Amino acid sequence: MGDSSASYIHMVQHLIETCVMFHMNEDECMDALSKHANIMPVITHTVWKELEKENKEFFEAYKKINREDQMSEAETTQKILQILSENSTTNTINSSSNIHHDA
Amino acid sequence: MLAVSSLISTSNGREGEMESFSLDLDGFSLLDDIDFDDIFIGIGEGDVLPDLEMDSDMLAEFSLSGGEESEFNTSYSNEKVEDNERREEEDRGSGSGSGSGLTSNLGEEIVSKRHESVRVNSSPKEGHHKGRKSSKSHGKRKMKVDWTPELHRRFVQAVEQLGMDKAVPSRILELMGIDCLTRHNIASHLQKYRSHQKHLRAREAEAASWNQRRHIYGGVGGGSKRDLTSWPTPTMGFPPPTPVPPFPRPLHVWGHPAAVEKPVMPMWPKHIAHSPSAPRPPWTPPPPPPTPPSLAQPYPPYCHPQHQLVPSALTPGTPCFPPIHAPTRFPTPAVPGIPPPLAMYKVDQGIGVSSAQSHSHPPFDFHPSKESIDAAIGDVLSKPWLPLPLGLKPPALDCVMVELQRQGVPKIPPTTSHA
Repeated sequence: MGDSSASYIHMVQHLIETCVMFHMNEDECMDALSKHANIMPVITHTVWKELEKENKEFFEAYKKINREDQMSEAETTQKILQILSENSTTNTINSSSNIHHDA
Repeated sequence: MLAVSSLISTSNGREGEMESFSLDLDGFSLLDDIDFDDIFIGIGEGDVLPDLEMDSDMLAEFSLSGGEESEFNTSYSNEKVEDNERREEEDRGSGSGSGSGLTSNLGEEIVSKRHESVRVNSSPKEGHHKGRKSSKSHGKRKMKVDWTPELHRRFVQAVEQLGMDKAVPSRILELMGIDCLTRHNIASHLQKYRSHQKHLRAREAEAASWNQRRHIYGGVGGGSKRDLTSWPTPTMGFPPPTPVPPFPRPLHVWGHPAAVEKPVMPMWPKHIAHSPSAPRPPWTPPPPPPTPPSLAQPYPPYCHPQHQLVPSALTPGTPCFPPIHAPTRFPTPAVPGIPPPLAMYKVDQGIGVSSAQSHSHPPFDFHPSKESIDAAIGDVLSKPWLPLPLGLKPPALDCVMVELQRQGVPKIPPTTSHA
């Protein structure tokens, strides 16, 4: 009995680590594990928290990265949108100038 | 040279006589007079492997009979002069030591059909393989061929033209059209090339599967020893005779502190275009095969240019992201291709966030894709014995159990289906 719980918890830990490799945060992890591995989110959450306790530094740094990712996301998103809009305007300009030429 | 041809023509007629020699080993005392050094002069030419059929031809050229030895000595005395001193010593030692053994071997050689591929006792020959400096070009001798990259390129071209299975040395020779190459040179080179290609393919396949694994499990916890023998750069560019070291798990490449000091990267997955200082094997094959599904790529350098600007085109599942680098303070990975993919990853997330305004349910596939996550998770479920990718310190079981019970989960594993 104890063994199976131990191995189960171990498995959940393994799965969580896998998700972390994919840069997921806790919620995403719970989601993924629940969807793909039928792990109850509460279990994922508990194990996650416990792992966090045991590996504080790691998770702090991990959160930091994720946060950074999210923060710069806004910037990058803006840039992307900018570029996209530029492209579309250029296209319009080009097409209009083409028409111009044709005329 | 004339001596050689005369030798051969006379030996033709003398085969009957030679046979009689073979039956009577005492008759071989004559052979003792022959300087064995000279006999093997041509055999040791650089590109000849012991197991090639040309050996018998070589021996046929040097076919012995009692009366020929003087001619031998004179015609090849030139060669001998050019030889290194130490080689002679080597040869002498081996020659005299195995003289009798040689004798009987040679006798057999003489008897055997000329075109039969018989191998001479390799021990006397080994000493002769290295550093044969015969620069004289006799038509029938095997000159040491220096397989320059240019020469090799032409060789590969010819082989490709013919197709790997159809690539016969004689045809290759024709296609290459180089005078100073003999069919035997080509044959031995072809043999090496083929085995090298086989190795490469095997390594590639292994690399592909390893890379996939790595992306699933991450390289952080791997920490395997990097056992890479750096690719030697001999003039001829052939792999070392020792068995190639097992393909090192590329886990290090992701910036394991120990590995990143020098940009040691596996040479086998040659689609890594940025291998910095590692010597390139002369057999860099023609442009790497069209990338198999990008999953196989560790760092797809071609990935980021397109993808930075067109995030929507980002193929889900493109493993263009590095695993976590901050926690252990990994230095920037040596390969230049890595940071941009991270940027790409950020972009992806950004779009997800901005449009969906929520973290957990982006409208379109997060990269990595569901499939790869699913695959990774499935892998973990099916192979519980695999090592933990991150190697995090596991929490105390008691703590977890207590906590779970507090949360209302009395039994682990839960018997009820998940909510």
